Amino acid sequence: MSYKVKLDVFEGPFDLLVYLIEKAEMSIYDIQVSVITAQYLAHIEKMRAEDLVIDSEFMVLAAILIELKSKMLLPGAEPAAAVDEEDPREELTRKLVEYRRFKLAAGLLGEIEEDNRAVLEKPGEDLQAFTGEPDEYLRMDLKKFLQSFRMFLGRKQRIDEIRRGYTRVARQRATVESGITYIRELFERRNVKILTFRELLTPESDRRQVTLTFVSLLEMMRANEIYVSQEVIFGEIVIRAGKFRAGAAYAAEPPAGKDGLAGKAGEKRSGRVQ
Amino acid sequence: MFSKKAIKSAFESMMFVLGEPLEVKTAANVFGVDKGTAREYFRELQREYEEEGRGLAVREIGGGFQFVTRAENFEHVRRLCTPAREKKLSMAALETLAIVAYKQPVTRGEIEMIRGIKCDRMLEGLLKRDLIEETGRADSAGRPILYGTTKMFLRYFGFAGLNELPEIEDIERSVREPDESGGVRQFAIDLEGQV
Repeated sequence: MSYKVKLDVFEGPFDLLVYLIEKAEMSIYDIQVSVITAQYLAHIEKMRAEDLVIDSEFMVLAAILIELKSKMLLPGAEPAAAVDEEDPREELTRKLVEYRRFKLAAGLLGEIEEDNRAVLEKPGEDLQAFTGEPDEYLRMDLKKFLQSFRMFLGRKQRIDEIRRGYTRVARQRATVESGITYIRELFERRNVKILTFRELLTPESDRRQVTLTFVSLLEMMRANEIYVSQEVIFGEIVIRAGKFRAGAAYAAEPPAGKDGLAGKAGEKRSGRVQ
Repeated sequence: MFSKKAIKSAFESMMFVLGEPLEVKTAANVFGVDKGTAREYFRELQREYEEEGRGLAVREIGGGFQFVTRAENFEHVRRLCTPAREKKLSMAALETLAIVAYKQPVTRGEIEMIRGIKCDRMLEGLLKRDLIEETGRADSAGRPILYGTTKMFLRYFGFAGLNELPEIEDIERSVREPDESGGVRQFAIDLEGQV
């Protein structure tokens, strides 16, 4: 049974090298090449054991480290080397320093990113409603433009034709209660006991008003305020006043249901009147 | 002529409608004032919203201003709805982006030299998210593409401009003397030879 070790994921060979140097508490300006090279190679070996894909760049840096190590082992007493005093590690150090700088910057950007994720902006508005976007029309050639214009005219004509058949309908505000009040007052004003249905209406009364008056009558019948008779079908409806009740709490009266049908009608309506 | 108060009030309305950062230039043109004055008004608004601790803040982004929510309110906003947010950038993407941001205009080769690893996939991802863009081509051999950050980058991190990038020079200024470039290039060629 194999023992699995979770390894940190490194972003690249420099990332790994900087990590190893920092872990060894070594100065980046004075890298102990042999120690670091050994650790670096050991880590790559671990990665290989983990079946991780090792980018070729890791191997390149390994080669560079080994080369550097061998250079460091050479005695620096050669006369030629004395002239050129450059530390063989210098180039690597410079690269690592620069890499570390950007790694730090990346960390800072990451923090700023995190902070800024709590700041929300509104998606840009579609301002076409305000600007009217004339470009779309301007891109048309004359033929297309004419075609659209004809279509527009045709559509306008059709709409006008349909409009001619329209009647404007104002919303009716009258209620059954107002109808009942009107009928009661009419009886009282004329000081009569009998009125015909036709007399309840005026020449201006429209279909709705007729319906409303009729429904009001049914409601009053249910409450025994009036008595209605009709001699023949489609004949004159004669209304005889009974005892009017005072107060407006008319529809609140539970349907007495003396006459089954009228009671039912009243029940249905009472909900709507309230 | 409009009073300062009227102009500032109008700027607020304009920022509200636009959503996107409102360019100082555009806003200044509406009132025929110069850009400096317009920017001053925007900054005053910014201060006022800040001082009063309003739920909205005026944020400066690349020469424009926009309304954004206050960060402290994020948890409350989230109760209302869960704002769709893009995935956070990976460390590798952040590294690449940092190099582009600080070194722009920069070629892929230069970025890879600093990171010591291939960056083509990272650059592709950053281009796709509109955080970087191609800004031209370098004069060097092969005329490689130069990359720079976008306005989206500023918005994503909430920077008014590139000058708001965090200071990193204090660590150690990288020196790249001209005579060193030969060595640096050599390394790059080694890299590619191995790939």
